[in-house]
Amino acid sequence: MGNSVVGAEATALISRIHQEATWSLGRRIRHAFASVLARAYPRVIGAAREPSWLFFDLVFPILGMCSIVFLLRSRGVDEAWIGSTILATALLSFWISVVWMMGAQFHWERDSGNLLLYITAPVGLGAIALGMAIGGALGVVIRAVIITAAGVLLFGAKYQVADPFLLALVILAGVAAMYSLGVCLSSIFLISGREADHLGSLLNEPMQLLGGVYAPVRSMGTAGVVALGILPLAPAIDALRQVAVPQLAATGILPVGVELLILLVMTIVFGVIGRVLLAHIERVGRAGGKLLARAD
Amino acid sequence: MRPFGPLRGGAADAARSLVASARLAWAIEGNWAEPIYLAAFLIVRPLAFLGLFLAVLSIGGSLNVATIGFVVIGQAVFQIVSAALEGPTHALLDDRERYRTIRYIFATPSSLFPVSIGRSLVKASIAGFSALIVIGAGILLGVPMRAGGPDLLLVAAVLPLGLLSVVGLGIVLGGLCVQLRNDAWSYPEAVSSSVFLLCGAIFPLEVLPGPVQNIAAALPITWWIEGLRRALLGTTSPGILGTMPTNELLLILAVGTAVIWLISPRLFVAGIDRAREKGYLDRNTAS
Repeated sequence: MGNSVVGAEATALISRIHQEATWSLGRRIRHAFASVLARAYPRVIGAAREPSWLFFDLVFPILGMCSIVFLLRSRGVDEAWIGSTILATALLSFWISVVWMMGAQFHWERDSGNLLLYITAPVGLGAIALGMAIGGALGVVIRAVIITAAGVLLFGAKYQVADPFLLALVILAGVAAMYSLGVCLSSIFLISGREADHLGSLLNEPMQLLGGVYAPVRSMGTAGVVALGILPLAPAIDALRQVAVPQLAATGILPVGVELLILLVMTIVFGVIGRVLLAHIERVGRAGGKLLARAD
Repeated sequence: MRPFGPLRGGAADAARSLVASARLAWAIEGNWAEPIYLAAFLIVRPLAFLGLFLAVLSIGGSLNVATIGFVVIGQAVFQIVSAALEGPTHALLDDRERYRTIRYIFATPSSLFPVSIGRSLVKASIAGFSALIVIGAGILLGVPMRAGGPDLLLVAAVLPLGLLSVVGLGIVLGGLCVQLRNDAWSYPEAVSSSVFLLCGAIFPLEVLPGPVQNIAAALPITWWIEGLRRALLGTTSPGILGTMPTNELLLILAVGTAVIWLISPRLFVAGIDRAREKGYLDRNTAS
């Protein structure tokens, strides 16, 4: 016991530990900001270093887009719908990223062993999730632009954007709401076992259908109205269609302003729920020792 | 007969490997959730897929159920195509990277070739259940089916031929994809998505650009789907697909399947042998 710290030395040590462990609000904000940047960095820079990722991120949506466009052409539908399909595909690339690169990410990190590093690092899962969201969204912007350009070149789609600012606002609000939902999804995936992959699949086609991605939300009836309130894809694509393809404005279910408001509310609500869920799962998972257990 | 490698032993050994792998595949694919959730998953996703296409078809007016049989059958059958094409690669990669058992399978007297076929067939069978659900939904929607029920003789001729051809292509993909360092998981899906675009599953081939139509017509999968449409709907499809007499369609399908099975075991064996020599069977790409 020769190394024991006692008396005044112990008091000083406790005081120092307390001082170092108690961060001011400013320091906590700076630390969270640095964590967000650190997690966003590989999403943007790392992804650009791997050309095959870019290739597949583009190939799948473009092939899907081609299928829908050819289906529309086989039915002789108004060409405005082809423009809408291209935009929907670009928006969908954000949704795919939300499901697989936000929702499923912690699940994968756990299975590959990286989650242990996240948990032991002095960083909250919330900051990491926000970094993933910001980096993911920035990375997908490039893909969405390429998909739209490819669609326009391949199929000659035309757009009439009277208000580019409103268009940018709709895209920004839609993407923010989707990634905010992604934070919620990440906690659900984190407590999932082998069903995580299947859960991800269920969040693709069924949500595309409910969200009225390729056809008007209106055609989904009551389910479409419900989707408008809970699924960011629905108000985002409906507003995007009204703003970028005026010929289809009549298919809109709500005015663009209202849909923007819905997206803003979704961003806040999903963000708060996601933050609370992640903190809860992290706390319970640490206590139960199951947070890092592999799903299979 | 090879004493060692991905295709070894006699027919009885191969049959044992196939049955064992099929049982394993069922355990992997079928027990990840309670049966009720599994059934819901198998029903919801394909129906949503169908709904997506039907929603597109309803653009510009109401949905004409008399004309959607083409899409319903095409989309239903493609569930099986997709599962069988992607199945062998995903099974190999799962065993290599997720369960890390491929080296042990290789070391046992099991033969990797029938093991991969067994895994693929189970995936295709599960997808077959989803296909039946989609066809059932089509019938409920009022899609006019063949008078007097399906042409069972045609189904019995077309179904195994088509399934064999798709599994054969999936096996080749598996042999190729174990060589890859990056995105090995993604290639089968890319191939499957390309085939979906080409094989006239949801739209007639005439909509495709001219030269692409020739590629589409050369795919056995195109004629498999068309054969099943004729057997179930009792009518031929519009355009090029409908011009082919049924006996010629069967001949094309049979020749295509034979060619695929002449080539696919050789390519698979060559691919797995190369992967073993290069140490790729122990690789973990962390993708």
